[in-house]
Amino acid sequence: MTLYAVERLRVRIGDRSLVEDVSFSVEAGRCTALVGASGSGKSMSCLTPFGLSRGIASGSARLGERELIGLPEVALRPLRARVGFVFQNPLSALTPHLTIGQQLVEAAMQAGGPRLDERALEQLLDQVGLHKPGVLRSYPHRLSGGERQRVLIAAAIAHGPELVIADEPTSALDADLRHAIMEVLARLRDQGMGLLLVSHDLPLVERYADRIVVLEAGHVAEAGEAGALLAHPASGAARALIAASPRLDDPKPVLPSTGGPLLEARDISVAFRATGWRGGQVAAVTGASLAIAKGEALAIVGASGSGKSTLARAIGRIGPCDGGTVSWRGESLPVRHGMRREHRAGMQAVFQDPVASLDPQWRMVDSVAEPLRYLMPELPSIDRTARALAALEAVELGAAFAERRPAELSGGQAQRVAIARALVAAPDLLILDEATSALDVLVAGRILDLLERLQRERRLAILLITHDIAVARRLCHRIAVMEAGRIVEEGPSLQVIATPQSAAAKALISASR
Amino acid sequence: MRIAGWTIVTVALAALLLPLLLPWNYDQIDWNHVRAAPFTHGHLLGTDSVGRDLLARTLIGTRITLTVAGAAALVALLIGTAWGAIAGWFGGRVDEAMMRVVDALYALPFMFVVILLMVAFGRSIVLVFLGIGAVEWLTMARVVRGQVMALRHRPYVLAAEAAGAPPRAIIVRHILPNVAGIALAYLVLTVPQVVMVESFLSFLGLGVQEPLTSLGILVHDGAEDMDVAPLALLVPGGVLVGLILALTALGERLRDRLAR
Repeated sequence: MTLYAVERLRVRIGDRSLVEDVSFSVEAGRCTALVGASGSGKSMSCLTPFGLSRGIASGSARLGERELIGLPEVALRPLRARVGFVFQNPLSALTPHLTIGQQLVEAAMQAGGPRLDERALEQLLDQVGLHKPGVLRSYPHRLSGGERQRVLIAAAIAHGPELVIADEPTSALDADLRHAIMEVLARLRDQGMGLLLVSHDLPLVERYADRIVVLEAGHVAEAGEAGALLAHPASGAARALIAASPRLDDPKPVLPSTGGPLLEARDISVAFRATGWRGGQVAAVTGASLAIAKGEALAIVGASGSGKSTLARAIGRIGPCDGGTVSWRGESLPVRHGMRREHRAGMQAVFQDPVASLDPQWRMVDSVAEPLRYLMPELPSIDRTARALAALEAVELGAAFAERRPAELSGGQAQRVAIARALVAAPDLLILDEATSALDVLVAGRILDLLERLQRERRLAILLITHDIAVARRLCHRIAVMEAGRIVEEGPSLQVIATPQSAAAKALISASR
Repeated sequence: MRIAGWTIVTVALAALLLPLLLPWNYDQIDWNHVRAAPFTHGHLLGTDSVGRDLLARTLIGTRITLTVAGAAALVALLIGTAWGAIAGWFGGRVDEAMMRVVDALYALPFMFVVILLMVAFGRSIVLVFLGIGAVEWLTMARVVRGQVMALRHRPYVLAAEAAGAPPRAIIVRHILPNVAGIALAYLVLTVPQVVMVESFLSFLGLGVQEPLTSLGILVHDGAEDMDVAPLALLVPGGVLVGLILALTALGERLRDRLAR
């Protein structure tokens, strides 16, 4: 039975056309997924017929027998109540001053459902797999991101909708939580609800969707049954989305050969002081040791909060380090504030948030040239500029970007500038701290291509921090798995992936399958 | 914002230039026309109880008020930025100690502190704005500290550190330029507060001394004769209210625009 059918939908804002001629349908007990890069119009296609975006829709969108397009807001409201909406950001979608139970009761009533009693609420939480005692009486800040997303799904289905629309329900969550949340949604589908899923994560969608609609620049690039489409993608957009995210069953990567020892860290430990005058210490990293050879790439993988960034920053001497030693080319490195120019020249870092990595007031050429100012002060300023331009060229950004400021760049462009800045002084080791996790899949894929090329051309050693083991597999010779501040497993990438020993490694691998 | 800007510019220019065009000086006494009505004998706003031209006095009073306020706000900016930047940059116990000092000063009845300063060191105009500036820097210090703390953990600051930039270079090149906008906005917001404080002190007779005048003194004097000469109260009072509203509106707009 078709619950929701969209035909020849067009959406415009002002005189800009965002969606053209998009058709799809959702059946009861089935999942249709709209996938595409950001800006491809997938959220717009989902939300506009329900009056939930700024766009103006034309064409047809039928919920059961009722046509949605052209209805005034008053008439849309009861129809929206037949649908449950789950949105992207679970951190900001709950009201802080109401308990979880109150929010669920309210959500059901606002959508025209019955007043839920305690038993019904518990049943609801059971449906979304939230089995924490006392959760109905807790406030949102006591819950983790994954738990909050479960609550939001519960709120979306509290009034018993026939159709659930989930707009990027897992994008704000860690890799290891994504599948858990998707399982919850898949279970609702199995109970007979229709599920319309919006995502840019094709590998994630593949396991749960029955039909996939690939959107590109507001048009349907390709649509079909999930298995067939993924096995034989016909459109460039689908192929690009499939190729963009590295997978564990990709062909074996060809990595550059490695040389002699470069860096060795022994027994690194980092503790943070708890807040207050005499609060205790919280151990973030305990006794971690690792070594990197010349031209070798080592990945530190782990769930969020496992201490991988803290460890990388301690080793790179750009964060606190309370114990342990780091030796660089056989010489011991001083602590963070004792680092001198010659120590800094060998390693540079790229961070997760590309826009925050660049001083908002600086032109790109100045940002890129900054390391040269300190690391090679003897260089005349004209050579500095020339090298900065060459570095921008190396990350495939033309001279046109030299004069721009961060606000004028996209996330991917800003990350390229950050990579150019890290490479301008020709370091031996590059620390990549989740350098692709904040980017859209397609953009992240192109950044990975770029890093792969730079790794090959410059014989760069890389210390890669990531929660995505498939990314680690693509770039790195070896993988170290972290859990709760300790390295619990280490070995050649392919071996760790094929025969994981620790529970943490197994969890990360199953999240990437 | 545009209206507020033009109000401030117009008032400031008038206070600066118009006294040059007037035939009367602010302390010049017209012996023949004491308490003259407005628009008589060449006195546009009349004269006060000792025969001084009210328009000339209002203009000079505005000038003094604005000067004191501007200078005090600058003092607040210097102390506040330095204090806040040091606390925010070093963090930890340094920060705790420095901010507890700020909290303690906040808790003092600060009008009382200014009055004590006046009493202890005598009444001079320099002391007025030093005293006011010395208490108005507290908010500035908090704002700057928060901003510096947020900025110092930004990845671009870390990247600069990884690039070998010494702390001094990071503060001068990355931190201060990015704090400047918000500090400027709060500077503009500090000025109307100082205008109020200065006027209040002068109203109490603790601020600027005769024959020099300020808007606060004029409002005080005007209030004594308000039943017979309402303009002597309404004109300086109106200028005072207009200035404070315009400066506050401008400062809040700047703050909203710069506080990302």
